[in-house]
Amino acid sequence: MSMFRVFISQLAEIDTMSTSKKVITREEWEKKLNDVKIRKEDMNKLVMNFLVTEGYVEAAERFKMESGTEPDIDLATITDRMAVKKAVQCGNVEDAIEKVNDLNPEILDTNPQLFFHLQQQRLIELIRNGKVEEALEFAQEELAPRGEENQSFLEELERTVALLAFEDVSNCPVGELLDISQRLKTASEVNAAILTSQSHEKDPKLPSLLKMLIWAQNQLDEKAAYPRIKDLSTAILEDPAV
Amino acid sequence: MPTSASSTSSNRTEVLISLLRSESKEVKLKALREVKNQIIGNRTKKLSYIKLGAVPKILEILSSSDDSESLILIQSAATIGSFACGVDVGVKAVLDSGAFPHLIRLLSHLDDKVVDAGARSLKMIYQSKLAPKYEFHKAENMAFLLSLLNSENENVTELGASIITHSCETTAEQKALCEAGALSRLLILLKGSLNQREASLDSLAAMTENNSEVIAKFVGLNSGRALNSLTELMKDRYPRTRLLASVCLIVIDHTSPNYLQDIGIKTKLIMILIELLEEPGRVGDEVPFALANLIADKEDLQQIAFEVNALDKLCSFLHQDTLLTKRLQGILLAIAELCSRLENCRARFMSMQALNLVTNALTHDCAEVRTAACICMRSVTRSVKNLSAGHYLDDMIVTPLVHLLHDQCTSVQVAALKTISNIVVDFTNRKSVFIQCGGLKDLVLLSKSMDSTLRLNSVWALRNLMFLAESSNKERIVSEITASTLTSLVCDPEPFIQEQALALVRNLVDGGISCIEHVFVEGGIIINAVGRQVRNASKSEVCIQGIYILGNISTGSESHKEAVMHQLLQEAPSVLIKFLKCSDARLRVAAIWCVVNLTYPGGPGSSVRVARLRDSGIISQIKCMVNDPCLDAKFRVRTALEQCKPVLGCLGVKLSATTEQGHF
Repeated sequence: MSMFRVFISQLAEIDTMSTSKKVITREEWEKKLNDVKIRKEDMNKLVMNFLVTEGYVEAAERFKMESGTEPDIDLATITDRMAVKKAVQCGNVEDAIEKVNDLNPEILDTNPQLFFHLQQQRLIELIRNGKVEEALEFAQEELAPRGEENQSFLEELERTVALLAFEDVSNCPVGELLDISQRLKTASEVNAAILTSQSHEKDPKLPSLLKMLIWAQNQLDEKAAYPRIKDLSTAILEDPAV
Repeated sequence: MPTSASSTSSNRTEVLISLLRSESKEVKLKALREVKNQIIGNRTKKLSYIKLGAVPKILEILSSSDDSESLILIQSAATIGSFACGVDVGVKAVLDSGAFPHLIRLLSHLDDKVVDAGARSLKMIYQSKLAPKYEFHKAENMAFLLSLLNSENENVTELGASIITHSCETTAEQKALCEAGALSRLLILLKGSLNQREASLDSLAAMTENNSEVIAKFVGLNSGRALNSLTELMKDRYPRTRLLASVCLIVIDHTSPNYLQDIGIKTKLIMILIELLEEPGRVGDEVPFALANLIADKEDLQQIAFEVNALDKLCSFLHQDTLLTKRLQGILLAIAELCSRLENCRARFMSMQALNLVTNALTHDCAEVRTAACICMRSVTRSVKNLSAGHYLDDMIVTPLVHLLHDQCTSVQVAALKTISNIVVDFTNRKSVFIQCGGLKDLVLLSKSMDSTLRLNSVWALRNLMFLAESSNKERIVSEITASTLTSLVCDPEPFIQEQALALVRNLVDGGISCIEHVFVEGGIIINAVGRQVRNASKSEVCIQGIYILGNISTGSESHKEAVMHQLLQEAPSVLIKFLKCSDARLRVAAIWCVVNLTYPGGPGSSVRVARLRDSGIISQIKCMVNDPCLDAKFRVRTALEQCKPVLGCLGVKLSATTEQGHF
C-alpha cells in the first residue's frame, strides 16, 4: 500500500468517527423531554426531603402546609438537631453533647469515634480560648483514656495537644485544627449521626439526582451532540455544538 | 498536675452522688443529668461511678418516682441504660440493682419520651451476653414479646427484636416464636425504618440458625417472596444492612443449601463481604467473621473468594498498625479458612510475605488474636510443598510459637500445639531447630498436663516430631520423654491420647534395629504396654496403631520377633484371630502385615514361628482370606501364604494371581 492510500484511508476513518456522533436538535430534544412524565408528589417529596435533611425547619413547616406533603420525620426533631449543629459551629461543644444525649443517649454511647471527635473539639476550643491548664487537665482526664482504647485516637490526641507547643498557632503544622472548617467538619459528623439514629438518610436525595444527571450527560457526550445542561442552577439547555 | 486533675474530678463524682439523694427534685434532676452526661461514651467514668455505688442510688430514684415525674423518669432510665452500655461490670450492676421490672413499667407510660427511654435502656441490657435469658415458653412472656414487636413505637419494636436476638437459641424456642407469629412480624419490620430493619435482620438470623423447619416457613412467607427481600437487602445502600442480610443468607445456606443453589448468589455474597471489609467501625469488624463463616469447609467458595482477590485484600489489612483487636482476629480467621484447603491460596500467601505479619500477631496482647494467629498459621502450614522445603522451621516462627506453649490461656496453648504439630512434620531434617528452641522440653512438659486436650495435642505434636526423624533426634526425643512417661501415655485413660501415644511409638520404631531397641528398655515396659493395649483396647484406631508397632518391631532381630510372638500368643485364641476376622479392613491389613513380617523367611527361627502361628489357628484363618474384599489385605494374604508354603508343604490353596483381578 502506498503512503498516499494510507493517508486517504486515515482521513476516511476520522470522517466516519465524526459523523458517527448523532446530532439531536433542540426541537427533537424538547419533544423527547416532554414525553417524560414526572409526578408532582414525587417532586414535592424530594423538596421536603431536602428541607428536612438540611434542617430548614420553618420552610419545611410552611411547605407541609402549602403543598400537603408529609415529612418522613417528626419536624420537632429537626429543631433539636439544628440546635446541636449550631452549638458545635459556635464552639459550645459541651452544650452540644448534652443536647445529643437528651435527644438519644445511644448516639454517643455506641459511636466512639464521634464521641472522641466531639471531645477533641472541646479540647480545641479550650486551647483556642487560651485556657492552657484546663485544656491539659481535660486532655488527661477525658481524652487520654480514649487514646488508650484506640491507637488512632491517640495519634489524633497527640496532634491536638501539639497545638499547645507552638507560640504562633496560626503558622504551625497542626494549625488547621483551629480553623473554622474543623468545627464544620465535627458539626456535620454529629448531624449525620443524629439523622442515622432517626433512621433517616444523612444526605438529601436532590444532590445525588443532579450527580446522576451529570454522569448521564457525560456518558451521552461520547455518543451524541445534544442540548446539554451546563449550569445546574439555571438548568438551561445549551444548543448542541455541531 | 495529674494528681490535682484526678482529685478534682473524683471530688465532683462524690458530690454528684450525694446530690442524687437531695430532697429537692430540681437538684436531683440536675445531678442525674450531669451524671448521665459524664458517663455517656466514657468507660472510665462509668467504672468509677459503679465503684462508688451510683447504680442502686439511681434505681432508687427511678423506682420511687411516680408517673407524673416524666423528666426524672427519663433521665434516670437513660443513665441506667448508659451504665449497661459497653461495660460488663455496668450490666451486672444494673441487673443486680433489680432494674428490670422498673424499666418495663416505663414501657406502658403515656409519655412517648418516657417509653423511648425505658425501651432504649432495656435494649442496651439485652445487647449484653450477661442479660438473663428471656423465657419464651411462658405464655405471658410470649404475648408480651409479641406486643413489643407489634408496638407503634420504634424503640419498643427494636427492643422486641433485641430480645429475640439475645435469647432465641434452641430449636424449640425458634419454633415457638415462629408459631406465635414472630417470623411474619419480623418480615414486616424489614420494610420499616432503617433501625427496625437492622434489628429484624439480627433476629431473623437467630430464629433460622440450624433450623430447616423455620427456614422453610420463612421462605414460604409472602407467597415465596421473603427470600427475595433478603437478597434485595444484600444490595442495600447501607453497609450494615448489607452485612446483616448477608449473614442471614449465610445462616440459611448452612442449614438449607437447596434454597440458594445459584452459585451467582454465593459469588455476589463473597464480593459484597469483601467490599465491606473496608467499612470503618462495627461493620468492618464483623465482616471477616461472616466471610470466614461463609467459606468454612466449602472448597468451591474458597476458590471463588480466592479468584476475586479476597486473600490479597485480607492480607493488606495486616499491614495496618492501628488495626483494632476484633478486626485483626476476624481477618486472621478468614485467612485461615481461605488457606485451609487450597494449595494455591497458601502459595499466594507465602509469596506475599504475609507469614511475618501473622507471626507478629502471635505476640499480640489479646489472647483471641494469639489464638487466631495460631489457627491461621496452622492452615498455611498444611502446605506439603512448603513443609518439604523447610520453610516453616525457622527461628523467627518457632520461637514465638514455643513461647505460646507457656501461655496463660489454654485455648492459646492448644492452638499453638496444633500449629506446631504441622510444622514439625518437616521433611528436611531441620527438626533440630525446634528441639534447640526448647520446644521438645515444653511439649514433654505439656504431655504430662492434667488437661486432656493439652495432653492430646502435645502427644500429637511429639508424634509428628518423631515422624521420619534422624536417629540422633529420635534418641533426644525418647530420652526427653522417658520410657515411663511414654508408657503411661500409652495407657492414658483417654482413647484418643492412647492412639496418639501409640502412633508416636510407631514412628519411633520405624527405621532400623537401633530404633526398635528403644521399646525394650527398662525391662520392656513400653512393649508390654503396647501389647496390653492391642489385646484389650476397644477402639479400632488404638488397636491399629498398636498392631503396626508390633509389625514394625517384627522387622527387627530374632529376639524382637520373639517378643512380638510373646505379646500376640499370650492368650488363646490369639488376638490376631480377632483382628483377622474383624469387619474393619484397616485392622485386617495391619494384622496381616504383622504375620508377613513374622513369617519372613531366612531367619533361624522363622520356621518355628510359622509352626506356632499354625498351631494357634492363625494360618488357617489367613487361608480363608485369599479373596478378601480389600485389595490390600488380599495381596498381603498371598505374600504371607507364599512365605509359609516351604514350611507347611502343600497348602491346598490356589495362589495364582489371575483370579478376581477385575473386581477392584
